[in-house]
Amino acid sequence: MDGTNQETSRAQVSRPAPVAGSFGLESPAQITKPRRLHALTPVVLITQAVIPALVVAGFDLPHSRASQASTSLLALLPFLAIPVAAGIFGAVSWVVTRFHFEAGELRVDSGIAFRQSKRVRLDRMQAVDVLQPFFARMFGLAELRITTAGGSRRSLRLRYLSLVEARDLRAELLGQAAGLGSGVKEAPEQPLVVVPHSMLVWSSILRLLPVWVVLLAGVAALITARVASQASASMLAPLLALVPIMVFVSGQLFWRRVSTWWGFTVAESPDGLRLRHGLLSIRSQTVPPGRVQALKIHQPLVWRMFGWAEVMMNVAGYSGGGARSKEAPKTVLLPVAPTAVALALAGRLVGADIARVPMRRPPRRAAACAPLWWKRMGVGRDDAIFVTMHGLVSRSVDVVRHERTQSVRLTAGPWQRAWRLATVHLDSAKGPVHMRAAFRDSAEARDILYDQADRARFARRYAVPDRWMQPQTPGFATEDRSAAQRGGGTGRGSVAGNDMGDIG
Amino acid sequence: MRRILAIAGLAVPTGFGVVLCEVQGGGGWFAIPIAAFALVGTYAWWSIGRNWRSWGYAERADDLLITHGAFFRRLVVVPYGRMQLVDVEAGPIERMFGLVRVKLHTASAGTDACIEGLTQVDAAALRDRLAALGEARAAGL
Repeated sequence: MDGTNQETSRAQVSRPAPVAGSFGLESPAQITKPRRLHALTPVVLITQAVIPALVVAGFDLPHSRASQASTSLLALLPFLAIPVAAGIFGAVSWVVTRFHFEAGELRVDSGIAFRQSKRVRLDRMQAVDVLQPFFARMFGLAELRITTAGGSRRSLRLRYLSLVEARDLRAELLGQAAGLGSGVKEAPEQPLVVVPHSMLVWSSILRLLPVWVVLLAGVAALITARVASQASASMLAPLLALVPIMVFVSGQLFWRRVSTWWGFTVAESPDGLRLRHGLLSIRSQTVPPGRVQALKIHQPLVWRMFGWAEVMMNVAGYSGGGARSKEAPKTVLLPVAPTAVALALAGRLVGADIARVPMRRPPRRAAACAPLWWKRMGVGRDDAIFVTMHGLVSRSVDVVRHERTQSVRLTAGPWQRAWRLATVHLDSAKGPVHMRAAFRDSAEARDILYDQADRARFARRYAVPDRWMQPQTPGFATEDRSAAQRGGGTGRGSVAGNDMGDIG
Repeated sequence: MRRILAIAGLAVPTGFGVVLCEVQGGGGWFAIPIAAFALVGTYAWWSIGRNWRSWGYAERADDLLITHGAFFRRLVVVPYGRMQLVDVEAGPIERMFGLVRVKLHTASAGTDACIEGLTQVDAAALRDRLAALGEARAAGL
C-alpha cells in the first residue's frame, strides 16, 4: 500500500504564458520602482478601529461605573488596546508593504511575520474597483481592489492610496491589461444610465413591501386580538416586542439599499464598463470588455406594476459578497430602472437585441413539472446570445453570450423522464445568474445541448481577446493555434502560434 | 465496489432487526428483516448495476462528454479549452479496489464533471491527455 497514499494528484491545465515581445513588457525597464501605500493608512486603520470601540465603550461604561468606580479605568484598557494594536499593526504593515509592476504583472510584497508576495497577471484581471469606505474617504484616501478569476480570496487589495493615485493606478492597470503598454491616461467615459434618487428610494420601499405588509398585518392581528379578549394580553407581549425589531430590521435594510446604490451610474468606456455608486462609502467598479459572463434582468412582483427591473451580472471572482458578507454585492449591474432601459443596457452589453430573439415555450407536458409557470418559460437563441426566461410572479430573463458558457449540462430526473422532458444548463462563472432551459422536450434538449456546444466553440474563435485593445488578426482562432500545435509538438507551441498570429 | 458497500450497509440494520426480534421472543418474526434484506439487497444489486452501466464518457474533437445516472440522468459537455484543472482522486475504499475518479473543473461551480471508477492507469492516461488538450485549446474565461 506504500506509494498509493499519494493517490490524489492534480494536473494544472496551464494557459499560454503572456506573450512577450508583442507589447514590450519584457524589457527590464518595465520593472517599475517599488511604491508604498499612502502614509495616512495607519491613521485610517486606527480611526476604523476606534469608532466601534468607542461605541462599545459608551455602552459598557455606565455599567462598570455603577458597580465599581475604581475599575472603570481598568475597564477602559481593553478598548484602548484595540486602537493601539490597530495602529501598530497598520504602521508596521505600511512599512513593509510595497508594490510595483513587473513584466505584465502587478506585484505586492507585504507581511510581517509571514512575508508574502502576491502577483496578478494583468491580462487575467477580471475587474478593478476603487473603493472609498467612509473613514478612508474623510482622509481623501481610497482602496484599490483587483479581482481575478480565482475567487474573493485571490483578489488583491491595495489600501490605502490617495484617490488621485488610485485612479492613476487603475488607468495604468487597465492600459497594461488592454495591451496598450504603460503610461496610459484614464480613458474617457460615456454615461449610459443614471438611476434617479427618487426611483431608488421608491423602489427600495416597494422592495420591502412584503416586510411592511407582514408587519402591518401582525399589528392589525394584535389589535383585533386585544379587542377580542383582554385576558390574553400577557401572551401577546412578546409578540408586541417583535414589532420594533421588525421596524428596525426593515429600516436597516432600506437604509442599506439606498445608501449603497445611491447615485448609481453606469458608464461605458474603452476600458470597459464602469459602475459608480454609494452615499457614504463610494465604490466605482470597472469591468473590462468581455469580462461580464452572464446577465439577468429580474422583475420582482411589486416592481412589475411600475415596469421596473434590476440587472445582475456574473463576473468571475465577483461572487461572494451578498447576504452573508458585510459588503454589498458587487454583482449588481443596475439596482433599478425601467424595464426597457434595463433590457437596452443588457442588450448593449451582450451586443444583441434581447427582445428580438424569438422565444419558444416548453411543450405542454411541462405543466406536469411546472403547473402554472411553464407558460412563462421560454428559450431563445440567435448567433450571438442564448436567452432564457422564467417566472410567473417575479419574472426573469437570463442572457449569456455563446463564447462565455463554460460547460453545457443536460439533466433529467425520473419525473421529468416520465414526461419525456429534460433540462439544459449552461454553466457560467459563479454568480447570481444560472442559465437553464427547463423542461424541454428530451429530443429538443439534446439538440440544444449539442448545438450549444458547437455554437460556443465557434463563438470563442471570434471572442474579445484577453488583452482587448491589442490589434488582432480577425478570425485568429484558438483552434487554428492548437491544430498548428498538434503537428509541431506540445507545451510552448501554442505560445509560438500566438506570436505568429500577432505578427501576421 | 458499490454493491459490496450497499450489502454491507444493509446488513447492519438487518442484524439489528434480527436481534430485536429474538429479544422480543417472537418465533418466526426474525424472518421478516431477513426477507426485507433479501428484497432490498436484490433491488440495490440491480439498481447499482444499472447505475454502473450508465456511467460513460466520450472524448470528442473539442469537448469531453460525460454521462451518468440511471434515474437522475445527466450529460455534461466540457470543452477542452474551458478546463481549468483536472483532479485525480481516490478515497480509502476506492483505493482498496484500485479505482480512482477523475474530476474536471471549469471556471463555473456548476460543472460537476466527474468520471468515477476508472483504473489508475486509465485515469492517469486520461488526465495527461486532457491536460495536453486543455493546454492546446486554452481560451481564457
